[in-house]
Amino acid sequence: MALLQIAEPGQSPQPHQRRLAVGIDLGTTNSLVAALRSGLAAPLADAEGAVILPSAVRYHAEHTEVGAGAKLAAAQDPLNTVLSVKRLMGRGLADVKQLGEQLPYRFVDGESDMPFIDTVQGLKSPVQVSADILKVLRQRAEATLGGELVGAVITVPAYFDEAQRQATKDAARLAGLNVLRLLNEPTAAAVAYGLDQQAQGVVAIYDLGGGTFDISILRLTGGVFEVMATGGDSALGGDDFDHAIAGWMIAEAGLSADLDPGTQRTLLQSACAAKEALTTEVLVSLSHGDWQGQLSREHFIRLIEPLVARSLKACRRAVRDAGIELAEVEAVVMVGGSTRVPYVRQAVAELFARQPLTDIDPDQVVAIGAAVQADTLAGNKRDGEELLLLDVNPLSLGLETMGGLLEKVIPRNTTIPVARAQDFTTYKDGQTAMMIHVLQGERELIKDCRSLARFELRGIPPMVAGAAKIRVTFQVDADGLLNVAARELGSGVEASIQVKPSYGLADGEITRMLKDSFQYAGDDKAARVLREQQVDAERLLEAVQAALQVDGERLLDADERAVIGLQMEQLRELMAGDDAIAIEQQVKRLTQVTDAFAARRLDATVKAGLAGRSVNEIED
Amino acid sequence: MGSPCHFALFDLQPAFCLDLDQLAARYRELARSVHPDRFADADVREQRAALEHSASLNEAYQVLKNTSARARYLLGLRGGELPLEVTVQDGEFLLQQMQWREELEDLQDSADVPGVAAFKQRLKGAAALLHEQFAACWEQPAQREQAERLVRRMQFLDKLSFEVRQLEERLDD
Repeated sequence: MALLQIAEPGQSPQPHQRRLAVGIDLGTTNSLVAALRSGLAAPLADAEGAVILPSAVRYHAEHTEVGAGAKLAAAQDPLNTVLSVKRLMGRGLADVKQLGEQLPYRFVDGESDMPFIDTVQGLKSPVQVSADILKVLRQRAEATLGGELVGAVITVPAYFDEAQRQATKDAARLAGLNVLRLLNEPTAAAVAYGLDQQAQGVVAIYDLGGGTFDISILRLTGGVFEVMATGGDSALGGDDFDHAIAGWMIAEAGLSADLDPGTQRTLLQSACAAKEALTTEVLVSLSHGDWQGQLSREHFIRLIEPLVARSLKACRRAVRDAGIELAEVEAVVMVGGSTRVPYVRQAVAELFARQPLTDIDPDQVVAIGAAVQADTLAGNKRDGEELLLLDVNPLSLGLETMGGLLEKVIPRNTTIPVARAQDFTTYKDGQTAMMIHVLQGERELIKDCRSLARFELRGIPPMVAGAAKIRVTFQVDADGLLNVAARELGSGVEASIQVKPSYGLADGEITRMLKDSFQYAGDDKAARVLREQQVDAERLLEAVQAALQVDGERLLDADERAVIGLQMEQLRELMAGDDAIAIEQQVKRLTQVTDAFAARRLDATVKAGLAGRSVNEIED
Repeated sequence: MGSPCHFALFDLQPAFCLDLDQLAARYRELARSVHPDRFADADVREQRAALEHSASLNEAYQVLKNTSARARYLLGLRGGELPLEVTVQDGEFLLQQMQWREELEDLQDSADVPGVAAFKQRLKGAAALLHEQFAACWEQPAQREQAERLVRRMQFLDKLSFEVRQLEERLDD
């Protein structure tokens, strides 16, 4: 019984005869559409024979230009040309500013948190921009295949959260596409390779795209693809390599960091060209204005080393999550254009102690896999030999419990579909209602997790505290969408409130739809990190202040008090800013200078405890 | 309630010792026949049924493939569910627990990565011993108390292993 529909209700398509379905890789840098034709999955080309559609959209007053032409115009018309829009999907304006890079657009606040880009054609949301890319791919597919599409499988990074997935789905709908399934990109890549090579065993898919990084560990057995674990970083990609080079150029050329959008774009384009050239060259020449310089591959490696290290860390974590050792991974598949960088290949090869597979074009492999799955889902294959994808939920789902803590009901990396129940009880005599708050995230405190929905179970018969047994059931379907139901077992009372999904309405309502989604989605990791540091700092300051009041005179001398006071003052100043790392470091510093104080207090407490007083008395 | 026995779903008799490879093969076979992807063009009721079948199959597999979850489930089948939180008198093990915790803290303070790996191996050994002991006693009603004690020890080890993994992640930073 679905009492609470958090995501879109199950409006699965019902194809009746063999119909046309495509796989779409909606990438940060490039997008592709592929289809299965006469048993062979291949990307579809445009009229000029190009397979890759750069994910670039340029808005003119009267029309919209998508692809290579738009990309070329980026430097001369930066305000009206949107690149890498995928990085903005499902994020609020505050989140976007936290991405830590200078985006050359004029962002407009609007009435919601959603970032709108102000163009000559009016305000454009990231969802609309993505929809414009998808429309071109849809038209290309319909022209090539000669008919209307029954639907599409659209790939998303495995690590995309609920808001990012919904934004992608909304964009597809806005482009007039019926979404058969959102498929995780690494899984799609595995399908492409699995088909090709009849592979068996444990495979790691390392997917470094323009803006996102994904790592998935899969077990392949007789056409069954079991995702064992997935992880990644939804804000790490080849774009960051470009930014690293551009940053180096700015420093070398002595430019001010505050550049106009056109200059930023020119710098990024030179940086990207240099990155690509360094795949085959060991030294490239760069120039900007009257500055000229040379970048060696060696130095480039130094620039990107910390970024690549972040991806390797996510790999180790995914392997641990899969419950295996690195040595048990039998093949490593490389996906995404950024895996062409030789240092990336080398670092991955070293981590897994084997050469990664690069046989299928890393730019095409995801779309090819998606096309195969789209054909199956459209109902075109029923021979019992078709592939089966057993995917997992990328983030933990749970409930708020006493004290603002998250109780995980379905941990991350659980195979879906899944249903799981958890029993709770009342904590007050005669309690007749219970609030159920559903969240998504890995952190222990609910303030660090994304709130998905709240509802109330009413009409529990009055009993003594702890006597009622309330069973809350979570169910995640194959699309990764969640239903939650609550029931008191003794009386059979069920929660009767249904929270309508904030998505899935008419296309014309897309703006309102997104606004609603953000109401639930909160904000993204970077913003969360800052808030978390601020909260930590606040807590530490309060604790130190309280301790000083009680024991400061007794246990510290004047110098020690002065040092602590100074560090506290600095922390207060940093807290007002938005540099999470600086706050964290200052928290550490303050902790260090108060360590001895804490130890002395503990000593005093233990002594007092031995003297027969309780710790509580002392703290009071 | 009316949910089928996890073992029955796999056509197995309740047992503690399982061939995990065989279990995995059977799981894939069953998953293939009930997965919602097979019913993408079926009517809503069939889709719903596929979803429920798949979910209970996945749940059953999760329980059966994990040794301590399987042990706990077996005791539940035999004589009622184990209470989640009880104060247990298990002095001998308590001492061991404290020792392990102290070791873990030392490993954390010294950021001793090879030490963590060795510690993990020892925990694995301790778990294997518990499994052996459980296998020998769980079917005898007279030894129920001992079997329950062993399951609690297994659960403690699971928790500790989870903390070791978290430590590994922190040391990876």
